[in-house]
Order: sequence, then C-alpha cells, then structure tokens
Amino acid sequence: MAEPYLKVSGLVKRFGPFTALGGVDLEVYPGEVHALLGDNGAGKSTLIKTLAGVHQPTEGQIYIEGKPVQFRSPRDASGAGIGTVYQDLALNQLMSVTRNFFMGRELKGPLGTLRMDEMNQIAHDEMLKIGIDFSDPTQAVGTMSGGQRQTLAIARAIYFGAKVLILDEPTSALGQKQQMGVLKTIKKVRARGDIAIIFITHNEIHSRLVGDRFTFLALGKVIGAGKAEDISDKEMRRLMSGGAEMGDLEQELSAI
Amino acid sequence: MADSSESDRLQKETGFQKLIRRPEIGAFIVMVIIIVALAIASDMKAFNALGLKNNIKIISQYGIIAIGAALLMIAGEFDLSIGSMIGFAGMSMALMLKWGLPFGLGEATPFTAFFITLIMTLSIGYIIGTIVVRSGLSSFIVTLGFLFFLRGVTEVAFRLINQSTQVSGLPDYKEESWFANILGGEVFGWFYDAWYWIGTKVSSGIDMNADMSRAERIELIEYLGLLNINRRMEQWVTGFDARFMWFIVIAVVAYFILSRTQIGNWIYATGDNKEAARANGVPVNRVKIGLFMCTAFCATMFAACQVFDTNTSDAAKGNLMELFAIAIAVVGGTLMTGGFGSVLGVVFGAITVGLVANAVFFIPAIDGAWFRVFLGAILLAAVFANERIRKRITGGI
Ligand SMILES: Nc1ncnc2c1ncn2[C@@H]1O[C@H](COP(=O)(O)OP(=O)(O)O)[C@@H](O)[C@H]1O
Ligand SMILES: [Mg+2]
Repeated sequence: MAEPYLKVSGLVKRFGPFTALGGVDLEVYPGEVHALLGDNGAGKSTLIKTLAGVHQPTEGQIYIEGKPVQFRSPRDASGAGIGTVYQDLALNQLMSVTRNFFMGRELKGPLGTLRMDEMNQIAHDEMLKIGIDFSDPTQAVGTMSGGQRQTLAIARAIYFGAKVLILDEPTSALGQKQQMGVLKTIKKVRARGDIAIIFITHNEIHSRLVGDRFTFLALGKVIGAGKAEDISDKEMRRLMSGGAEMGDLEQELSAI
Repeated sequence: MADSSESDRLQKETGFQKLIRRPEIGAFIVMVIIIVALAIASDMKAFNALGLKNNIKIISQYGIIAIGAALLMIAGEFDLSIGSMIGFAGMSMALMLKWGLPFGLGEATPFTAFFITLIMTLSIGYIIGTIVVRSGLSSFIVTLGFLFFLRGVTEVAFRLINQSTQVSGLPDYKEESWFANILGGEVFGWFYDAWYWIGTKVSSGIDMNADMSRAERIELIEYLGLLNINRRMEQWVTGFDARFMWFIVIAVVAYFILSRTQIGNWIYATGDNKEAARANGVPVNRVKIGLFMCTAFCATMFAACQVFDTNTSDAAKGNLMELFAIAIAVVGGTLMTGGFGSVLGVVFGAITVGLVANAVFFIPAIDGAWFRVFLGAILLAAVFANERIRKRITGGI
C-alpha cells in the first residue's frame, strides 16, 4: 500500500486541565478523501489546528512522508504542504478576489509593487481549474456566494502548494445547491491524485458521497476508523452518534 | 454547471455600479458642492490669489494628519494621540532650537532639531503600537492615555526648560537654512508667477484712478486679487506654504503604498479580518506598529511645518487635531471598522473640511461656529453612507 503523506500518532492536546485530544492516530493518503467525523466538541477543529501549526501538540508526533516534523507556526505547516481551509475561510470580504487569493503571499515587482494583472490572471485560472469561471477577480469577496468562497479558499490553498488539503466543515453553512458545488470541487481535487484531502463534516450523506476513508472522533478520542467500503451504514450511524447504540438512545429518549 | 449562473449574475455589474461602490465617491460629491457653494457665497474671494493660498494651507495641515489617521483606521486601529504628538514634536523642536540640544551637545540646527524630534516621535509611535498589539487592548484607550501623557509631558517640559509654555521670537531659520525652508518656506512659486504673468496681460491698461469712488476701488481690488495683483499693481502672492508640498508627497506615497504594493494589501487585510490575515501569513502586528509610527511621522511633519513657518511653538499646539484627522478620514470614506478606504477620498475630505473651516474668513456674515455644526453633520452622513457601502459590498443590500 502507498505510504501516507501525513501521519499522526498518539496526539494529545490539553488546554490547561482540559484534554481536547486524548491520543489520536490518523493517516492520510494522496488522492484520497479522508472524512473526519464527530459531534460538536469532539475535537475535530482542535485536531486540524494542531496539524495546521496553530496549536502545538502536548504529546504525540506528526510525520510528513514518514519524517517527524514540528510546526511552530502556521507558516511552518503550510511550508510542509498543509493547506487549511477554515470554517470562516480566512477571507476578507471587503477585498477583491485576487487580493484575497494572494493575501500574505503577493507577487511583487520593483518597490514591493503588486503584479496585479498577473495575479488577476492566476486567480481566475486557478479557480477555473476546480470549477468556477469567475470572470472578474477584482470584485470584492463579499459579493461571492458561500460556495464560490469555498472554491476560492481551496484554489488558493492548492496553488500555494498544499499536499494535504484540510477542509473544516466546508458544507455546513451552505444551501443544498452550493453544498453539491463544494462536493464537486472536492471530487475534482481528488481526481488530481496528488493531494490528500481531510474533509471534516457532520453530514453522513456528504461523507458517504466523497469519502474514501473515515475516522470518527468522540470526546477527543478515535472511536472508529476504516475504509469506506468496510464501514456499514449502520455502523456509521452508531459511530456518528458518538458510539452509542441506536437502541440505547431510543431507551434514553423514551425514559423522558 | 451549478455555479456558472451565479457568476453570470455577478458579471452584470456595470461601470456605474463599480463607481458608486468606490470609497471616495461620496467625499467627491460633497467636495464639489462645497467648492461651488463657497465660490459663489464668497464672491470668488475664497479662490483669489491669497484665498487659495490660505485654503491650501489649512487643507494641507488637515490632509497630512488625516492620511496618517486613515491608513491606521484602514488597518483597524485609532490614534487619539495625534494632536498631543503635534504639541510634543513642536515643543521638542522649539526648545532645542532655543535652548540647544539635550545633554550639552551644543547648538541645535533646524536639521538636528527635526531629526532628533523625529526619532523620539517615531519611538513613541513604536511604543504605542507595541502596547496595542501586545496587550490586545483597544487602541482607543491606549492612545487616549497617550493623549494625556504627551500633552502633560509637553507642558512640563516647557515649564521646566523654558519657564513659560510658549516659545516665540526664534530667528527666522528659513532665511539661511534650506532645510527649514523646505518645511516652513514657500513652494511652487512658479504657479503664482504664472498667475501674475497672466494677470498682467489680462489687466493691462487698468489703473488705480484718483477720482474713483470707494466702491469702485474695492471692486477693482477684488478683481485684481483674482489676477494675483495687489493694490500697488505688484505681484501679490509669491507661493504656497511648504506644507502643501508635504501634503502632496505624503498623499502620493500613501496612495502608492496602499493601492499598489504588498504592504497596502497587508494594511487592508489587517483591518478587514485580522485573524484571516494572520492565518495567511500577513505580519499583522508589524503592520499595525508601522502605521502607529506613520501617524507619529505625520504629526511630526505637521509640527515641523508650523514651527519653521511661524518660528514659534506653544504647549497647546495641535489640540483636538486627532479628532479632526479621524473625522476627515471618515468623511473621506474610510470605514471605522477597518478594511476599507482610500487616500484619494481622504484628500477630498481634507479639501472639504479645510474649505469649510476657512469659510468664515471669506463670508464674514456667517458665525464661525457653523463650521462645527457642518462638520458634525457631514461626519454623521458619512458614517451612514460608509456603512451602506460596506453592506452593499458584503451583500447586505
Ligand atoms: N483554545 C482552546 N482553549 C480551551 N479549550 C478549547 C480551545 N479550543 C477548543 N477547546 C475545547 O476543546 C473541545 C473541542 O473543540 P473543537 O475542536 O472545536 O471541537 P469540534 O470542532 O469537533 O466541534 C471543546 O470542548 C472546546 O471547548
Ligand atoms: Mg469545529
């Protein structure tokens, strides 16, 4: 089997006395969508923030292509090919598409000037590659739909060298039609074959539609993991609800 | 495909829609109205040779500090210490010029007085910025502290070193020192020379006649004023104040940086959504600290032009200027919440507010306090207009 691009073993993250992650293992492979599932507060965001260099792990180790790495800042992580698309997308609404696309990594000419025409062209082309033809990249991001913003953030991460693309609940704040748009985008990125995708979601159907591999988190621990074809719908539903049996839940509810 | 219909919808934005979305459009319209109204109400006196010079003087003063304030506001912070910084810088230069350099380093020249002051003010700007980014406190409260602190230091220094809170009667440095002259002297003399030259052509044959009535005389003098000719038929005004040149320099550099460079992109990004900017590798803290130093620089230029123009300084200089600077930035289309604004808009705002501040000199019938009534009203109107623009961009309208 191919080597995982990113591997996490025994990751522990404590915030003071609170253990947000209690020893998490994870492997992600290029060309695969790895769905990370779990209830609110399970630690999904904490896990990816640790991978993205926002938090430092309390214990445990992250490996990139088998080599142990340490991320002291988000810059370290993006340098190692980890591209994160946060829930809030890290976009600035009042700024243009191009200015957002290159935010912090602008193409400079003499005197620190922006190579604006070139940047407009690249922003347009990169977004077209994964699904939207946004004809005017000088428009403010505030005028874009939620799905288009996702695409922008994803295109940006890929253009700047992401080998692992982390998507934190990309579909949760969108309408039906736009959710499908984002899933299509995910499929397009997957089809390139060289990028590993970590797809965080609440949504069972979405993860079924695009996921190749699943990891279920509950209360900071992995309660189940495996390939999509090895996990039945029933098992999936059990793990999604934090490991409780449907029967238990029914009982709990009927006791009220 | 699903998304193409949506981008098609966005493509329909016309040139006109783009125009009304620009931050400076409101300021531009107000400015044009004020210019026309003032020209009519003052019977063109506001724009005769001396009127223009005096108007440009106050516009430049406002403009210099408002541009600094606006850049900082675009990055999401305020500086209430601008006015006190002006007082501090003026005090520092005037005291050095009068009493010599500190630590017994001997006589001060305009050059050394200016640069030592600039080093101090930039350091204070650096300290203010560092406190704001490190503490995470609102810049409003941190700079309010410095408003009092610097004004107090200024007064104390005046009393300790100079016994009085005022320095006057300094030698006219701009006579000998080129450096003092580029700060406090005159610039663009060619403009007024050309004006006078054209004036002599237009007015050739006209003469002040002994048997003219008083009313005729006044009318003639007013007419000659528009031709840059004084009542002795000589050239009346010889140039603009040097601060006009500094206003232009600061405006052009600020415009270039803000709209054309990487740093400009960082300034917008920092003010719009700090966390988003940081997540993308924008050095948010350095941007903010740099801009606090920038407002300190603008305040220092304001003070230097004043000191070398008038050869005086006192402890009350620059009072309330921070509020004018912020008001002008807002009138110029800068968003209070950051992330949006333009240097061009601030220039329009400075022209508008400067003209209205001076209007009382050209229209004696009006009470000078109307200026503040007007400023308050357009400030509120601008805040609402800016908010509308913001909502339109972020899809609220
Ligand atoms: N910076 C932090 N400091 C303290 N506790 C935190 C911090 N970040 C997250 N947590 C806690 O960690 C737990 C997991 O949160 P999170 O990773 O956001 O969950 P999820 O994204 O799965 O909903 C939550 O109980 C949250 O309150
Ligand atoms: Mg979360």
